Amino acid sequence: MAIDAPVSGAARDNLFPKVRRTPLPGGYMGKLLRIDLTAGTCQAIELPEEPVLRKYWGGQALGTYILLNEMTSDVEAFSPQSKIAMMTGPVTGTGLTPGGTKMTAVYPSPATRNTLGRGATSGFWGVALKSAGYDGIIIQGQSDHPVYLYIDEDRVELRDARAVWGKGTRQTEDMLRRQSGHQDTRVACIGPAGENLIHAAMLVNDYNHVAAHGLGAVMGSKKLKAIVVRGTRRPPIKDKEALINAGQRWRGTLRAFDIKSRQGVGHGGSWGAITRHNWRATTIEDHARGFDRNRITPRPCFQCARMCPWDAELHGEREGEIVHFNAGSEWLDTFFNLDITGNDVLYLSERINDLGIECSHFADGAGLAFEAFEKGLLKPQQIGGMELKWGDTAVVDKLLDMCARREGWLGNLLAEGPKELAEALGGDAKQWVVHTKGGTPAQHEWRPLLGNMLRELVASGGMKPQGGGSATVPPDLKYRENWGPLSPTESEGWAWSHILSEQYRQSSGLMGACWFAMNQMVPDGYKSMIDALNATTGWNVTLDEALDVGHRSMILQSIFGTQRGWIAENDWTDVGPRFLEPIPDGEHKGFTIAKFLPDIIQEYYRLSGRDEMTGRPFKDTLERLGLQEFAEWSASE
Amino acid sequence: MERFGMTATTNGQPGTDGQRRPYPTGRLSDGKPRAIMFDSSACIGCRQCVEACKDWNELPRGNTYKINPSTWLTMEPPVLEGTASIWGRNSCMHCEYPACASVCPVEAITKYDEGPVVIDPNICIGCEYCIHACPWDVISKSDVTGRATKCTMCSDRVGKDQQPFCVQACPAGALAFGTVEEIEAQTSERAAATGATVYGLREAGGTHVLHVLTQPPEEHGMPEVSSDRYPAHHIPLATEIKGVLTLTGGVEGKLRAVKNAVSKPWRLKYRYWHKPEQP
Repeated sequence: MAIDAPVSGAARDNLFPKVRRTPLPGGYMGKLLRIDLTAGTCQAIELPEEPVLRKYWGGQALGTYILLNEMTSDVEAFSPQSKIAMMTGPVTGTGLTPGGTKMTAVYPSPATRNTLGRGATSGFWGVALKSAGYDGIIIQGQSDHPVYLYIDEDRVELRDARAVWGKGTRQTEDMLRRQSGHQDTRVACIGPAGENLIHAAMLVNDYNHVAAHGLGAVMGSKKLKAIVVRGTRRPPIKDKEALINAGQRWRGTLRAFDIKSRQGVGHGGSWGAITRHNWRATTIEDHARGFDRNRITPRPCFQCARMCPWDAELHGEREGEIVHFNAGSEWLDTFFNLDITGNDVLYLSERINDLGIECSHFADGAGLAFEAFEKGLLKPQQIGGMELKWGDTAVVDKLLDMCARREGWLGNLLAEGPKELAEALGGDAKQWVVHTKGGTPAQHEWRPLLGNMLRELVASGGMKPQGGGSATVPPDLKYRENWGPLSPTESEGWAWSHILSEQYRQSSGLMGACWFAMNQMVPDGYKSMIDALNATTGWNVTLDEALDVGHRSMILQSIFGTQRGWIAENDWTDVGPRFLEPIPDGEHKGFTIAKFLPDIIQEYYRLSGRDEMTGRPFKDTLERLGLQEFAEWSASE
Repeated sequence: MERFGMTATTNGQPGTDGQRRPYPTGRLSDGKPRAIMFDSSACIGCRQCVEACKDWNELPRGNTYKINPSTWLTMEPPVLEGTASIWGRNSCMHCEYPACASVCPVEAITKYDEGPVVIDPNICIGCEYCIHACPWDVISKSDVTGRATKCTMCSDRVGKDQQPFCVQACPAGALAFGTVEEIEAQTSERAAATGATVYGLREAGGTHVLHVLTQPPEEHGMPEVSSDRYPAHHIPLATEIKGVLTLTGGVEGKLRAVKNAVSKPWRLKYRYWHKPEQP
């Protein structure tokens, strides 16, 4: 099968060599799959040559580089011409390190329509893909009927998915695993939300894991219900003894989640603010009521000691129900934002994962609808007589189904997104909405945290952002960085701190490692990871080079947006106003990043080698990072 | 006799109890007996030990739900990670009196003073007797090499005073490794704290893997095994006939088996007319 999209630049013509001229570094399986859903074909192709791998490693960077090579900028997310590049990295699946679990998919974002979409996931699926013999998958075309991709090493085929179309992610996973005849088969699938092109639909894998931000919708547009994978192969490792040593050091830097951490209000508890009442209150009351009586079981990812994923068997009113989660806890804030409390929050969280809707997309859409109803802008007759009463579990339960299946006027708008809903509601609704460039921030009450707010605003909007910075220099980077401690209420230093954190977080994902398994704030937290990469691949990557690889990924991400009309200014102008309002209550009352806008964002672009208004990279940035082939997208002199 | 670069004494030497042993015995390092502890009350069924075993031994991935040549350790029951409430660990128990070693016609299985019972694939002729003799059914035969395979207790690591790779991988504190005295003390302490029982102390005359079980053994997927040394076993007639009439083990392997039978006829009783020994 020929690469069918226009390719610019002579150097890119042989991205996937027919015969490899350079030795394959350790850690890689050496093959990608190209799946054409229009033609119904599956083809194994060679992974790019070693210099390309050394430059991008894998994950988001290699995936974006492939998209930039193969897809023209006029291709929309749901068009048959759109592509998804799913990539692991060299460290994925070696088994000798924690965190070697990451699969990152990139595609045009359906939520923002002009930036890169990225969905990343952990668990076991990415490891299974490598065990089947592949480092990644390029998905293109569009099937005329529901299909799923079955991969069992050299047996790769598209199978009819009509029996599971319409089913939730839990049932789909169980059915397809059973059909495969192997109990340890791994399944990544979409739910009704993906099938119905909910703009932020997720891919769900291994029960507890999700790749959010529209990946499920792009798969749904291609009628690809699931990817089922198994295999027995293992990645070759250059220096096993050194990898065991680096892996054990890395493991030693991790702080494992304990059971107690699963019985509170989640991430926001650490700074004392949660999203409530459509971002109009932040204080924590009895939101976690009854969580301490649930039976919690950690379900760690493949060989990882961080222990993020967990199951709970609920007690009380929802006795015996089993719910499956990962780290993060955005789902808690999602339903706190609608004034739901106690185990109903966990019940609804399980429902949203089963339907495959991204939490914040629903939280900010439904939150806006509730507020509009409260203020009389949304009338019962517009929504079939429904009463949107804050904290009404049954109503939220129904809205989830309406959203996932685009039922009714409101269901359809919840599927489109909060920004679209605000426009449809009219009136002052545009002032009450939270969104970032049409996407949504990760659902936590970030507003008291400068670094995290900056991160949310500059992120693509079609992805969960990375970084956020730290108040002091990560110990492993003290050899080159000398700043801090930063003030939590002054903007000085946060732009650079965030850039640095974006670089090291990116580099983690690119090597195929989960950034949740990275503890850069303790000595050896980052160095041990890079040593693991080197032991796996046989490279001699330094920390400086690793940060540059992360930086390269950031620049490719923004070039993808530039090609589609995104400009840096959108980061502070195309934002739901509620997200920039001062904190309404609690210990952070009155604080807002707004007083530092747009300066802090402009500083971010300048310091990362991009134009502060357009976001285009400067020519010397491209030269320094070896990205001259993208010179046509650089900032004008 | 050189095995895995370590010294194995000639067969028939007395063990620590002064009894003649019907298999080779050896020493990896200091000779202090060690044991693995598995605490079912702490186990979360994540299978990190199962994959770690594969990683150290470079066994193929996948097929993790049943003991086979590429999976020497399974977690029971065979359901997805974390989805059962009671877990069991199924692998070689490293018996103090290993029936597998006693029936081997070519003495391919060595019992080391430090605990490990190890099959030498270079000596094994693939007769399958050990597979039938094992009370825990944890030995399998490789389709590729035709030799018997099983957990080695990471004897190569134990010889360097390192713990087995599965033990170091456990993120839940359900596995531990140490001298028999340490592990016995730890298991009885943990069992007392949770009202659990210790499995593996008496079974087959004693083993080097002690399980702290919160439920009856069968609920953890563990069989009931008598406290006899070299417990009763049944090597099917078909396997015996196959061993004589087919090419199993090759001419050279058959010659070795015959030579062993002639030079040490007292070993044959363990295979053919075995009476379990009371401790």
